[in-house]
Amino acid sequence: MEYSIRAASVEDCKDIRRLIGELAEYEKVADEVTITQRDLERDGFSENPFFHCIIAEVPEQHKTKEGDHTKIGYATYFYNYNTWCGRAIYMGDLYVMSEFRGKGIGRALMSKVAQLGRAAGCRQLNFTVMDWNKSARDFYLRQGCVDITANTGKHFMRCEGEALEHLAQP
Amino acid sequence: MKFKIRPATKEDCKEISRMIMELAVYEKMPDQVKITHEDLERDGFCQNPFFECLVAEVPEEHKSTEGFTVVGYGLYFYNYSTWEGRTVYLEDLYVMPEFRGNGIGKGLLSKVAQVGKKKRCVRLNLSVLDWNTPSRDFYAAKGARDLTDSEGWHFIRFDGQNLDNLANEAPED
Repeated sequence: MEYSIRAASVEDCKDIRRLIGELAEYEKVADEVTITQRDLERDGFSENPFFHCIIAEVPEQHKTKEGDHTKIGYATYFYNYNTWCGRAIYMGDLYVMSEFRGKGIGRALMSKVAQLGRAAGCRQLNFTVMDWNKSARDFYLRQGCVDITANTGKHFMRCEGEALEHLAQP
Repeated sequence: MKFKIRPATKEDCKEISRMIMELAVYEKMPDQVKITHEDLERDGFCQNPFFECLVAEVPEEHKSTEGFTVVGYGLYFYNYSTWEGRTVYLEDLYVMPEFRGNGIGKGLLSKVAQVGKKKRCVRLNLSVLDWNTPSRDFYAAKGARDLTDSEGWHFIRFDGQNLDNLANEAPED
């Protein structure tokens, strides 16, 4: 199937928000999504954006059965820093609508993030996956990546809500 | 003990580089450090910096046995959650051993949280090695949740030849 991958523009934010909602459903956390299309427009397309996004698009003749969508996948990424190796790229979300899976689009999106990272001088592409998401985990391991948590015992920790408020007290 | 926490300047990069190495020694991986203070100067102080950094400084009369007054740092950057929005990620937090127990680590962590709050970040994320009990306890005491334990989050990485192979497969623009 023909498809193209390109940088997202601010006009894509409505579709990005739709796709984010679908990914959240898949990860069983749809009611935790509070972000709006407006937040995405402001945070992704300002002078110092908090994130970047690429979109996978299909031609009109392959649009979705429901909703007539041609924007059928996305990946978000941002630049991080590893104090041992330097510049790194972090892939936040990777998602392809279910009816378009199995055609290499997910892999192409991830490759594109890797390419953009290399072009920016990044030596690592990092992301996280849930250990119960066996199909995603196997997909990534097949591409040659390493599970840092399994290998080194690195644990991901988060401070939010009241705990974060309390921490931010001067 | 009196100390001050302030944003790092380009001139601090030599000290930050020194402390990065000390932290790597503590984490039992000193041979993994590949970057220099020049990399930090370029990447932290350009137009779209890859990171921001705070340093902890003590007055001259409290300088370290080797004569250093910059005795700790917190290095962080901004990430994004497509569920909730802006987040801050604390990559490194370090205080020289002879200055621990004086609230400097806590001061650095709070300051990063404050900076994040000013930018309307809704989360402060970080990682810690599972064997590093003092650090795990320190963060847990501040209300941090271990998402690897509770929800099965795993860090995945591509680097070296595998990253190049992946990048070379990307479709043309």
